[in-house]
Amino acid sequence: MKLTGCPQEQELRAMIARGEWPLAATAAPELHAHVAACRSCSDLALVATTFQKARAESLAAARPGPAGVLWWRAQLRRRNAVVERISRPLFGAEIFALAVALLAGLGFAVIQAREGVAWLSWPYWHDWFAQVPQNAALHWDNLRASMLADPSWNLAVLLPAFAMLALLGGVAVYLATDRQ
Amino acid sequence: MAIAVTEAGMSLEFTLPDAFAGGALDAAGARTLDPAMDNEAFAAFYERSARPLWAYLLRVSSDAALAEDLMQESYVRFLCASGAPSLASDGEAAARLYLFRIATNLLRDHWRRPRAASIEEIPEEFFASRGNAAQTDSQILLGPALAQMKPRERQLLWLAHAEGYSHREIAQVTGLASASIRLLLFRARRKIAALLRTRETARETSRDVSPGRMP
Repeated sequence: MKLTGCPQEQELRAMIARGEWPLAATAAPELHAHVAACRSCSDLALVATTFQKARAESLAAARPGPAGVLWWRAQLRRRNAVVERISRPLFGAEIFALAVALLAGLGFAVIQAREGVAWLSWPYWHDWFAQVPQNAALHWDNLRASMLADPSWNLAVLLPAFAMLALLGGVAVYLATDRQ
Repeated sequence: MAIAVTEAGMSLEFTLPDAFAGGALDAAGARTLDPAMDNEAFAAFYERSARPLWAYLLRVSSDAALAEDLMQESYVRFLCASGAPSLASDGEAAARLYLFRIATNLLRDHWRRPRAASIEEIPEEFFASRGNAAQTDSQILLGPALAQMKPRERQLLWLAHAEGYSHREIAQVTGLASASIRLLLFRARRKIAALLRTRETARETSRDVSPGRMP
């Protein structure tokens, strides 16, 4: 397809842009004669004048709403984006807390496993309860004494620690899922 | 996406709940704002650019409701965009070009969503029956001719001949290479000129044979 533009095209384009076409038939008779003969220029004249007219009609028909509504919507959207941006690190912190709690629990379990998990077995508890007199089973001095007498006295620490981990894990999971 | 239009539109911004009213939020929000673009500056810019933008969207989409929705969304995105040109420093022409670019992208996204991956693959018939603009004289000629054009061709033709944008500006709006605009525009212009002539000839013929026009 031949793309070399007609040399008269620029002049015609300028006249159309100034709104002088096709009113200037008498002012520029040579150009009018050229446009009638040149396909490229006649295409340009026809298309440009048609589109200019359509644009003028569309501008007259347009009924844009108030700008304030759009301004308000943009403000709202911007604020939501900022809130989203702010809450992103919080979500990261929640995930981090959950991961730390899980790792601590895992590490604790590993340490206990290395030291032996006798306290997890039923015979251990059976013996332990057997050592405690029935009438003083819940007396703190007896309990403490029996624990100190036992090498696995850390049970008193173990249970609260597990409870604390479970609590922290639960809070972390809650915080992580809360935003959903 | 249509929103309620109220007379109190300009004062609605003051009713926006100021969640997280601390300075951090405002400072973070202000980073995406043109400092010179306040409510009044935007209203003035909107007043000057809304009609041409709506006309562009209407003629390219042939759907007045869609044009209205996309126009509103274009302005909202323009206000939220961090890279939008500043009216004060870059000038209104650059801002308007940016706005047209947003609208063009929204049109492309709209066409891509329910159908094929490329807007070039959308059949012209999809647009042919959707014209609901007022049937003015030029619309009677231009409407059916535009309906037979590809969406990309409509965009190029409107931007070049209705908005008077240069090839470089059209390239900025459409995202096409500046070098290819010339060829695409040349082909589109030739095609629509032929359609307009055919349409005009048919109209004149029907006028001549119409019994109502007997002397």
